[in-house]
Amino acid sequence: MPIKLPWLKGVFPALVTPFVNKTEEVDEAAYRRLIRHVLPHVDGLVTSGTTGEFPYLTRPEQRRLVEIGIEESGGKPVIAGCGASSTHEALALTRDAKEAGASAALIVTPFFLHPSDKGVYQHFYDIATGVDLPIILYNIPQVMDRYLPRTVVEDLADLPNVVALKDSSGDLTYTMEVLEYAGDRIDLFVGHDEVVLPALAGGVSGVILASAQVYPEVWQEVIRLAGEGHLQEARALQRRVQKLSRIFCRHGGGVAVKAALKMMGLDMGPPRRPLKATGGALIHETRAEIQLELEKLGKVPVEDVPFEYPGGPLAARFGDLEITPDLIAIHRLRVGSGMAGEGLNKVQIDLIAGGKETALGDAYALQLTYPLHGREALTGILEPGLTVRPSTLILPALPQKNLRQANMIYGPTQSALGRAIVDALEARSIPPAAIDDEVMIALVTVHPRALDRHALYQSVHAAAGAALAQVFGGSSDQGSGIRDQEAVR
Amino acid sequence: MGYKTEWFKGIFPALVTPFSADDRVDEGAYRELIRFVLPHVDGVVPCGTTGEFSYLTMEERKQVLEICLDEVGGRVPVLAGTGCTSTRETVALTQWAKEAGVTGALIVAPYFLKPAFNEVYDHFAAVDQVGLPLVLYNIPQCAGTHFQWWTAEGMLLNFDNAIGIKDSSGDLPFMEALFEKVKGKVAIFVGHDEVVQAALAAGADGAILASANVIPDVWQRVYHATLEGDLATAQHWQQQVQKLVRIIANNGSTQAVKEALCMMGLAVGHSRHPVMPGGAFRREDREEVRLQLELPGIDKIKKAPVTYDLGGRQVRTEVFAIHQTPRTISGFTLKVGEGFAGPPFQELAHVDLLLGLKDGPVGRALERSLAGWGEARGLRVIHERPRTLLVPTVTVRTAKQHRLFYEDAAAGVNLAIRLSVEDGFLPEAILDDVVLIANVFVHPAASIAKRVELNNYKAMRQAIRKALEGRPTVEELVHEKAAARHPFRYAP
Repeated sequence: MPIKLPWLKGVFPALVTPFVNKTEEVDEAAYRRLIRHVLPHVDGLVTSGTTGEFPYLTRPEQRRLVEIGIEESGGKPVIAGCGASSTHEALALTRDAKEAGASAALIVTPFFLHPSDKGVYQHFYDIATGVDLPIILYNIPQVMDRYLPRTVVEDLADLPNVVALKDSSGDLTYTMEVLEYAGDRIDLFVGHDEVVLPALAGGVSGVILASAQVYPEVWQEVIRLAGEGHLQEARALQRRVQKLSRIFCRHGGGVAVKAALKMMGLDMGPPRRPLKATGGALIHETRAEIQLELEKLGKVPVEDVPFEYPGGPLAARFGDLEITPDLIAIHRLRVGSGMAGEGLNKVQIDLIAGGKETALGDAYALQLTYPLHGREALTGILEPGLTVRPSTLILPALPQKNLRQANMIYGPTQSALGRAIVDALEARSIPPAAIDDEVMIALVTVHPRALDRHALYQSVHAAAGAALAQVFGGSSDQGSGIRDQEAVR
Repeated sequence: MGYKTEWFKGIFPALVTPFSADDRVDEGAYRELIRFVLPHVDGVVPCGTTGEFSYLTMEERKQVLEICLDEVGGRVPVLAGTGCTSTRETVALTQWAKEAGVTGALIVAPYFLKPAFNEVYDHFAAVDQVGLPLVLYNIPQCAGTHFQWWTAEGMLLNFDNAIGIKDSSGDLPFMEALFEKVKGKVAIFVGHDEVVQAALAAGADGAILASANVIPDVWQRVYHATLEGDLATAQHWQQQVQKLVRIIANNGSTQAVKEALCMMGLAVGHSRHPVMPGGAFRREDREEVRLQLELPGIDKIKKAPVTYDLGGRQVRTEVFAIHQTPRTISGFTLKVGEGFAGPPFQELAHVDLLLGLKDGPVGRALERSLAGWGEARGLRVIHERPRTLLVPTVTVRTAKQHRLFYEDAAAGVNLAIRLSVEDGFLPEAILDDVVLIANVFVHPAASIAKRVELNNYKAMRQAIRKALEGRPTVEELVHEKAAARHPFRYAP
């Protein structure tokens, strides 16, 4: 049971603040939509927290967010973020919050200038004694550059209206230490999405999370399961949202949450500058990853893409490269094919090798200047800077529809194919003359809905190994995964 | 009260320890290295951090010290790295070194386990009892503990044999505190290559440096100019080598120095594992180090004749050749080179280069693509001799992207071509015979125009040399296969 306030437990989303495109004004209608979306699955709301970009909001704006929150919350408590760098400003915000009817104030450790422990204590003391409103302390060293010292929390816990601490550090050694010294007088909330279950197991009373506006029902269930001691099920649920939680925590914060909400049909607009909607802290590649994770959670629909793995005679599969079975015979080009993996991780590689002076040399150069639509070729590498030999192009067999698909080709496919080629070099199955005088093109078919980079890497490596074995002779280790280096030597 | 010794001043290289292909100490290469640096140094430091002391067995450390003492033959002081993590071993090795005849011992702060300051103090007190001149060594980047000035002050003033301190932290406020406390009583050496001139100007007595393996002569210029009060000259030479030493200090110190020496013709081998090529010393850093070593006034890589075999015709040129530069280069039908430069992430450059004969596949692809969709798909000829086609690998959509690609990235690519013509890699006699196709990546979120230009210059310059020299070699690929880590292979 909560110690000082009976309602202070459960799931609280740290709401983003919606802004209108271009003008960057607060978008009140969008805020109401967001609250209505989350309300069925939460125990209360948190306005103008870190996820709500509070440092970019004016005092009147913060007050307005509290008012809207109360209008929309159907009686559920609204916790107002009232953090500021100066005590003066934090006090004013907390008074505003009380007047507006907030149930509690969330006050972050004072930031930018670095007050001593005494200054930090005085900051919270002045607010707690100056305003008759429950106060939740807030530790978030990732953005504040310092911890709220445990000894300060230990003393603040004696103040009657200091009711809780939100710990967003993700550092469970800190959480446990605060529980040890103040857990008898205040409640703890976990504010780091990646460690919800371990923190609950350690003794926190609830969660205040960015992700609690994207999948609040998951956190409600984790809390219920943990409370009933069903740890296995709780772990499975936490793991389901682990990657997305990590992205929210470490790869873009509120910006990433806004991107996710937009994909779910809740457009909360851009962040305020200097943050960028994408291309800044949230890079395009990560945004594609958010899409993929929301698909897995069933939060956005999955498009079923009909496609087939290339079939028919191998020599007839290179027509897109203007290489016909006749040319293959005339120029003595060598072909091979390999397939590996199951389901979404099934990969087919059709490989062709031959002299730079042949039609294949022309095809190689042409694909780098005159690519097939949506099928831009990549150079075969182990990693950037380690171009394999013979020079090899990777050509997606299917047009790439989006960055999410391209992400599967760039990293896992490119490096696994590179590795299979260097395996062959190491095993000396590629003739020395071919290393300098030939080129290769690999037509790679990856399932458009492939997701698992690790499994894909293994599939490509095995399929490429089999294709190379057909092209150059030597043994195939298809399906055996990565070779033991010592065994090869 | 003056200095305790006269000999501890000036420029001391922290000698690398050469290893042979079978990973043994390479005595011949070590002697050659010492002969190379000796004319330019005031002393040498065998078995320092750059000497990979922590990867050497006790027997090897003794072997290295013996070779060093023998090769130096008393011409300059030998300050031996004899620090170990435990007091017991440190005392034993220092005692051995004293008997072997070294001039002094450089003792690193005890590392890994984190002793308290009084434990650190007593560690040095025990070593002081050996009776060999003792230099304290602060290198928090590796040791994990930073001396506090009061610890250093106490040791320097209380220990009979403490003749100085080497501070590799690069923390100038710390060094200023040392000047305040102990200047004139013990020698204060700077060990961070990026702040040598600043430290000497502020009052440091000398420098022990990784980069002094490579450019001991340049450091002598900085040292002597400072002694003579000629700050402008000292600053000039520090700035001339700043990029080189920033890479060495930050990106793989010992491996960086070793690869630099190899490119200069001193075959000192690689660092011991887990340090490896392409690790902290990234491949793009090696390309940059190479360019820096070619600069006038540095002159560490020399030009050598190379023959280009263009099928029917041979062209002779002169290029800054390293150990991997073939003396005859053929196969101009189609050559592939890759270049990569960053950070920052958004402005990183990646160039896939095709270089080939005008009447071969590369020339045909260039003309056919231009005729086929040409400018409509963003292709642009940006150079005529050699004819060079710029191909965007990301669709250029916005005006900002357009500017960054066709102005800034293109300027970088052009600069690389111009400088490669000047330095001989693209000799005048082939400019009408070969064409280039540069697939260039500019991230849609790139912002910093100057970085886009410079990273593309670097990536293109690398790509040209790598295409011509046939790098990476099969040997490099096989060596690095297991450890290769493609940055996009992993989920966020």
